[in-house]
Amino acid sequence: MKANGITIDDTFAEAFGMSATGVIITADSPKWARQAAVTMSGFGTSVIGCGAEVGIDRELKPQETPDGRPGVRVLMFGFSPDALLPQLKNRVGQCVLTSPGSACYAGVESETRIGLGAGPRFFGDGYQTAKRLGKKRFWRVPVMDGEFVIEETTGVRTDAVGGGNVLLIGNDRAGLLETAELAVAAIGEVRDVITPFPGGIVRSGSKVGSKYEGMIASTNDAFCPTLRGAVKSQLGPDTVAVLEIVIDGLTSQAVANAMKAGINTILKDGGGKGVTRISAGNYGGKLGQHHYHLRELLP
Amino acid sequence: MSGLTFRLSTHPDERLDLSPLTPGRLAKLPLAEMLQLVVGTTKRQLKVGDLFAISGQPGDTVTIQGGSEHLDFVGAGLDRGTLILDGDAGAYAGRKMTGGELHIRGRAGALLGSGLSGGLIAVKGSAGDYVGSMCPGDKFGMTGGIVVVEGDIGVRVGEKMRRGTIIARGSAGTNAGSRMLGGTIWAEQGFGPAPGALLRRGTLIGPTVEQMLPTFADSGSHDLVILRVLSRYLSAMLGPLAPRPLSGRAHKFAGDLATIGKGEILIVS
Repeated sequence: MKANGITIDDTFAEAFGMSATGVIITADSPKWARQAAVTMSGFGTSVIGCGAEVGIDRELKPQETPDGRPGVRVLMFGFSPDALLPQLKNRVGQCVLTSPGSACYAGVESETRIGLGAGPRFFGDGYQTAKRLGKKRFWRVPVMDGEFVIEETTGVRTDAVGGGNVLLIGNDRAGLLETAELAVAAIGEVRDVITPFPGGIVRSGSKVGSKYEGMIASTNDAFCPTLRGAVKSQLGPDTVAVLEIVIDGLTSQAVANAMKAGINTILKDGGGKGVTRISAGNYGGKLGQHHYHLRELLP
Repeated sequence: MSGLTFRLSTHPDERLDLSPLTPGRLAKLPLAEMLQLVVGTTKRQLKVGDLFAISGQPGDTVTIQGGSEHLDFVGAGLDRGTLILDGDAGAYAGRKMTGGELHIRGRAGALLGSGLSGGLIAVKGSAGDYVGSMCPGDKFGMTGGIVVVEGDIGVRVGEKMRRGTIIARGSAGTNAGSRMLGGTIWAEQGFGPAPGALLRRGTLIGPTVEQMLPTFADSGSHDLVILRVLSRYLSAMLGPLAPRPLSGRAHKFAGDLATIGKGEILIVS
């Protein structure tokens, strides 16, 4: 079908069950809360090579954070709670503890908990102290600009979803990127989701496996425009580029909402910017538990 | 709000143990058995029926109308529901409470909230000595929960306290937080002489200290994020009972250096 001159494939995005956790990072200013969050989210694009998929969910107003300072919520997705634990420890220890004025709190509420301050508190070398308030314990680690406050645990859930996606296909690479940026911004308004790739956009969509031994994934040749004619391409003759937006969410509904927001924006703004087609990536529906049919997400 | 009301019909001339009068303990008792509950502490074995007129039905609230400094152990062992004492309380109010709310709309005697591990105690007037402290035979004082006293608190508040929060809208007497192992004592009008004697861990917060022990080290003025966290937590938990919010600015004195010295007295403006 077509809308606003853009073809929408009759297909679906196939996504997977994942584990997820999150933190709230606060600082003296929104700038420094964001700085710590961006640093913590670095090298967190794909669970395949990074160990976790990490991104900023949203900025928080002072009244929304445990210490009344500006904050940012970061979400982290991985294969299991056990796989998330070292990622959380290392990223918080190296990227948040080190950031001026920062503090770090649980960003996901759940019965199941994993250690948050459990590792970084030992940086205090015995000078760290704890303050228990209700059911929560906060560690105070002395650092050179005062104290780093970090909650002892954060929630982890195993019913999260990773790999929701939308493909933008078109005949103008610059316009395509511009449209994808707008779609990512729209998705940014949806709670409980992240778009973990650079700027929320991935240009190297992958297929499972490779001709080379040991490679788990390799380039999605069917969507590479420069291979058109040489492989079994899924691209039309006018296509010059394909960009993908990958979405991870705490719930399946959040992923669906995010895809909907992205598709709406692409349909609204993409026609004049060279977007000719919207599609989605899947593996035939046999690998992932969550299927998001594009036609069900149209406005 | 359903519940029972116990109206004190005569002034008790002996100390009473009112620990049986909690919503949990009264929930399944028929009226006849309530009247036979022994609350006297002498060989006279005074019963509820000798002292109180009962009205209402068992529910989540118990109200005791008429206070006296002879009413000991009010709300002791409270685990759920709300207990309201419309008057003064004697000693040991809220001892070993694990949950629920105890509201004393008068003054409280000594050892208020001793051994408290959960729940909320709110006192409209002042409280006596050893609030949130240990009793002989206890290993620790308070290990959780919140105590809010709108007036002053006597000496040695928080003796061997391990966790939880004590707030005084007024001042705290001599030796507040002595031998404390953790938790927070916040005296909005300041501390008397020698707070934090043998303090190991824990936080004492107030605008003034009458006489600082020499075993506390001046650590300077700081912006402490944990004070903001504490303020917001108390605001969420206590609503109008919460103390005024703190900005985070505090002058820190670390101690007691006669022990491990991981505690602190924070002077806030």
